[in-house]
Amino acid sequence: MTDLFTPAADWQRLPDRYVTVRWLGALAYNLVTTLVGVLAVGFLFDWGWAGALALVGLAWTGWRVIRAGRWVRSFGYAERDEDLLITHGLWNKRLTAIPYGRMLSVNVESGPIDRAWGLARVELVTASVQSAGHIPGLQQADAAALRDRLIAAGEAQALPL
Amino acid sequence: MTADPGPVGFPPDALPPAAKLTERPHPLTPFIRGWVVLLAVVISIGREFLPNGEGSRPLPPLEIIFAVVAALAVAAGVAGYISWRFTRFIIDADELRVDTGAIFRRSIRIAFDKVQSIDVVQPFAARMFGLAELQIDIGSHERSKLRYLQLGRAYALRDYLLARARGYQAEAATTTRSVSLLTDLHETDEVLVQVLPQTLLLAAVTSHEFWGIVLGGLVFVTVGLAIGQWWVLLAAAVPTISGLFGFVSRRVTGQFNYTLSRREHGLRIARGLTSLTSQSLPARRVQAAQLSQSPLWRLLGLYRIDIEVIGWGAVTDNEDKSGVSTILLPAGSLAQVQVALAAIWPRADFTAVELSPAPLRARWLHPFSGPFLRWGHDQYLVVSRHGWLVRRWQLVPHARIQSVRVTQGLLSRRLGLADLEFHTAGMRIAAHASGVEAGVVLERQTELMALLHHPGPDVSEPFPPPTSDWSEARAQAGPEALRADQAEATISSTE
Repeated sequence: MTDLFTPAADWQRLPDRYVTVRWLGALAYNLVTTLVGVLAVGFLFDWGWAGALALVGLAWTGWRVIRAGRWVRSFGYAERDEDLLITHGLWNKRLTAIPYGRMLSVNVESGPIDRAWGLARVELVTASVQSAGHIPGLQQADAAALRDRLIAAGEAQALPL
Repeated sequence: MTADPGPVGFPPDALPPAAKLTERPHPLTPFIRGWVVLLAVVISIGREFLPNGEGSRPLPPLEIIFAVVAALAVAAGVAGYISWRFTRFIIDADELRVDTGAIFRRSIRIAFDKVQSIDVVQPFAARMFGLAELQIDIGSHERSKLRYLQLGRAYALRDYLLARARGYQAEAATTTRSVSLLTDLHETDEVLVQVLPQTLLLAAVTSHEFWGIVLGGLVFVTVGLAIGQWWVLLAAAVPTISGLFGFVSRRVTGQFNYTLSRREHGLRIARGLTSLTSQSLPARRVQAAQLSQSPLWRLLGLYRIDIEVIGWGAVTDNEDKSGVSTILLPAGSLAQVQVALAAIWPRADFTAVELSPAPLRARWLHPFSGPFLRWGHDQYLVVSRHGWLVRRWQLVPHARIQSVRVTQGLLSRRLGLADLEFHTAGMRIAAHASGVEAGVVLERQTELMALLHHPGPDVSEPFPPPTSDWSEARAQAGPEALRADQAEATISSTE
């Protein structure tokens, strides 16, 4: 399909396993923050308000868990001849195009949850901090291969800064 | 690049040997650096003894005051002397080194070809003694400073270092031909833009910042009158008037005698009344420019240009600080704007870029600025316009764009609009185009990206390309040499 955010290209999607990782991430982060907030409010003010906060926290967690799958499916990247396209977002859609020639370095990172599912995150660094070329949740082998392809393309097409 | 600083095609044998220079700061340096500290100490201690309403403390006997001040002066003098004694600037054919520190020795060595630009700054205290500070910009956040040197020496050293940075083994001159105390101009310099003090004054009193302060004062007064408290009038008037006075005088003195000139090694901006700054402008490192126009300036036809330069993140962008600033033009007519922009981007002409307005329905999202939103691009530049009261034009050369992003929120999707962001290396001017027709973005996407990949000749390259021997060498060499050459050009033209 061709629209504003997915121009004709060979679009790659993220593996389904990454949805689980996002779930876990959302659960871990939200439940901990909710618990801390609830305890703080409970001890300092009133347990009634703490209960309300707990409900809000749970609703928020549920919302993030429901959205995780759709967010992951909305994410895509495409390696074109001269640039890398990254698209994501459900309500706020965005499409970022980064020419290989502008890349300064490519990082591959993998946190403990990512590693347990054999995933890694690739980050493209340009001279601009706004570029934010992140591709999360790739399979580790894919991530390493993508990194090598990007570096090779970047070296072949380097543009002056 | 090899270690040989000579440009491609320049036979190293022909280089004249450079003289060795070991430079000490001027003997007055410790006094100039120390007097600010001393003043601060005296003021902060003195304040303790000022009457403050709750029974002032009795002043200690005069002898004690004198003794304390004398002790402070001696201590400062000794510290200053030691620091002066151990500071040395070594500048010769092989190296540029700054040695400082008596107890913790520190030696900074700078590769000549990494010197991006050199600025001569004269703070007020140094100015009174005809001294100046040399700031060496090597593109990192920290600038090496040589302070203080005699003004003539500072200019001469600057010219020498800039010549070295361009790869010439220049003769280290001991004096300079600069004639004027105010402007740092040679007789050979080509003056591009000069802003008169009266223009600065006019621009300051018609700027939106000025009227913002006035409005703030008026609001205060109105509230005061409404609740029937007459004293509010005075309470509001004093800070407002002093604020206005301070604002105008800062704008005028900071940019006094603003001169943009071209010398053989590049562009230079000189400005300032109480503290004089002469900074070199590295055209290739300018990432983006922003023109702005306050409401009243529209009647007067005045504009201001701010620029974004790689590695200048920490330098000041306001007028009240001395030193290097990212203001390319404090206030000037459209013709001056064009000259100033042509100086950094000779190939681009932003007035020739065809701008298309945002569609009517963009006003749902941008109720005030909607009618004024424009964007467009040509072969060299992307131009976008924003703003309701203060009009802003953002100019970014394709060759400086790091990445492009299209964004669309829930509402703008419904309206068939999209926003474009152009990311450059720098944070201050976030170039973007808002409320663009989604269809147009879709249509232009490929074209924009193609310009990004193949920007063609660099915008900073002058129109008739220089036909020196090494540009021919560049044309004949392969892609590897081309890349090395671009690096060379980046360094050499950034003076």
